[in-house]
Amino acid sequence: MKIAVLSGKGGTGKTTVSNNLAALMTEATIIDCDVEEPNSFIFLKPTVEKEEDICVEYPVVDDLRCKHCKKCAAFCHYNAIIAGTLLTLPMKEICHDCGGCAIVCPESAIEYQTRTIGRIFSGRAVTGNKMVYGVLNPGELSGVRIINQVKKIVQNDPIVIVDSPPGTSCSTVAAVEGCDFAIIVTEPTPFGVSDMKMVVEMLRSMSIPMAVVINKAGLGDDEVYKYCHDEKLEIIGEISFDKTIAEAYAKGELAVDVSEEKRISFTQLWGAIHGIIEVTYDH
Amino acid sequence: MTIKEIVIISGKGGTGKTTLTASLVPYLENIVIADCDVDAPDLHILLDPEIRSRENFVGLKKAVVDLSACTHCMACVDSCKFDAISDSIIINGMKCEGCGVCEYVCPSEAIAMKDTVVGTVFHADTTYGPMVHARLIPGEETSGKLVSLVRNEAKKEAEIKGLGTILIDGSPGIGCNVISSITGAEKVIIVTEPTMSGLHDLSRVFDITDRFSGKVFVVINKFNLSREMSIKIEQESKKRGSEVLLKIPFDKRMVKAITDKKIPSLAEKELFSEAGFEEFVKRIT
Repeated sequence: MKIAVLSGKGGTGKTTVSNNLAALMTEATIIDCDVEEPNSFIFLKPTVEKEEDICVEYPVVDDLRCKHCKKCAAFCHYNAIIAGTLLTLPMKEICHDCGGCAIVCPESAIEYQTRTIGRIFSGRAVTGNKMVYGVLNPGELSGVRIINQVKKIVQNDPIVIVDSPPGTSCSTVAAVEGCDFAIIVTEPTPFGVSDMKMVVEMLRSMSIPMAVVINKAGLGDDEVYKYCHDEKLEIIGEISFDKTIAEAYAKGELAVDVSEEKRISFTQLWGAIHGIIEVTYDH
Repeated sequence: MTIKEIVIISGKGGTGKTTLTASLVPYLENIVIADCDVDAPDLHILLDPEIRSRENFVGLKKAVVDLSACTHCMACVDSCKFDAISDSIIINGMKCEGCGVCEYVCPSEAIAMKDTVVGTVFHADTTYGPMVHARLIPGEETSGKLVSLVRNEAKKEAEIKGLGTILIDGSPGIGCNVISSITGAEKVIIVTEPTMSGLHDLSRVFDITDRFSGKVFVVINKFNLSREMSIKIEQESKKRGSEVLLKIPFDKRMVKAITDKKIPSLAEKELFSEAGFEEFVKRIT
């Protein structure tokens, strides 16, 4: 069972929900797929047992073989190759590593070299959970390859909680792809609702069942409740706005360690998740 | 005439980019407003723009298979580096990056690359000036390209109308959307919050701004939630050659302004004034 935690809008509480849920079920693996700004490690303080670099390939032209026929540049859909009469120059930052230029080159003049775009850390969280997280190197455009590799590492684990990136573009799709269930963490503000609508649209097009957790309940208004009602989205939990949670978060502490009351509310959330997954997959 | 771009980014999501951008709008003159957070655009909620025109945004082409011509030779499946073609030759549009390799290797001409609409760009007018915004269809890519398009369109508006400043609401993270929104911009404002996450993400954003943009300023939102972390953020900013120019308190009145879909700096003038907002505006312009 792979459970994605996502939100659309940033800062609604994806990390808070996924990490506190993990803390209450140590059999679950937690992965942080927000590789641009990974934060779960701050709260789960893992002991890293293994690190691996994630590399992509980029083309290099062998000047001795290249006849400057420009076929590679004409093929490249990303305009990543500058071709002149005497010089053929691939630009590695723009290259998507599709392999097309080498396939079309009649002189076999294109070779590939690798460069590192980020790193994956695997280990044990302080809570006992298995944890894997990826970090994108600043300056790189896309973390999708890192996210895919993080997910591959945990593909056979029985329960995986996926802390996903904000937004709804390619990184989020990569994080959520293949998940059995999604928890949308939102907040009762117009921004929370607007961004959540995009997430719902994305999840529906991917046929992933979903439920909603409302964080910072008590702030804002009731628009989100109306939207969930109209769209028949089940609200499986509400976390009330509470300064003690905010303060614990600021210090990098888990909410379940703040008070027994918080521990109970996240335990109840697990119960609700379990219930809705059972209903979703048994009927 | 030179056109100056001011971009608001954050690293960590939900720190208050849109709140700050909207709040700056009525305090600036001769501006074009651009919302470059194309997969979570919210600025229009507060500025209530009147849409003048809308255009489809065509991203990279995507592969389309004619199964009647397909012989299931698997050449496309074997050459796709994006794992976008299933064994039954169904193309996953969310994974296809439009490279065209499958079309090239197909011996039966069963694959064609076709234009796909992946978003919409809006030209609009607000009380405070023209606005360009966009919406990426959820799940689509090429968001970096859409961000560049929004910036270019905003520049055109500024040139045509003789407006000197473009105010840009950016995306969270440090990936292609963010790099596309700040590359070559004169001024970048990073909005952060006084948490360990905010601090960690801030230092990663500095790694990007060091490389791609001009002058960088920092704003701490909800600074009173942890004064200790606020101090650490000021120290980090200083270390990275930047300065914290504004500290906005956490206050339920701010949340109420947003919920009422009002521009916070107008709805809560006193709160902003006490925080030194006028002075801040002078420093960034």
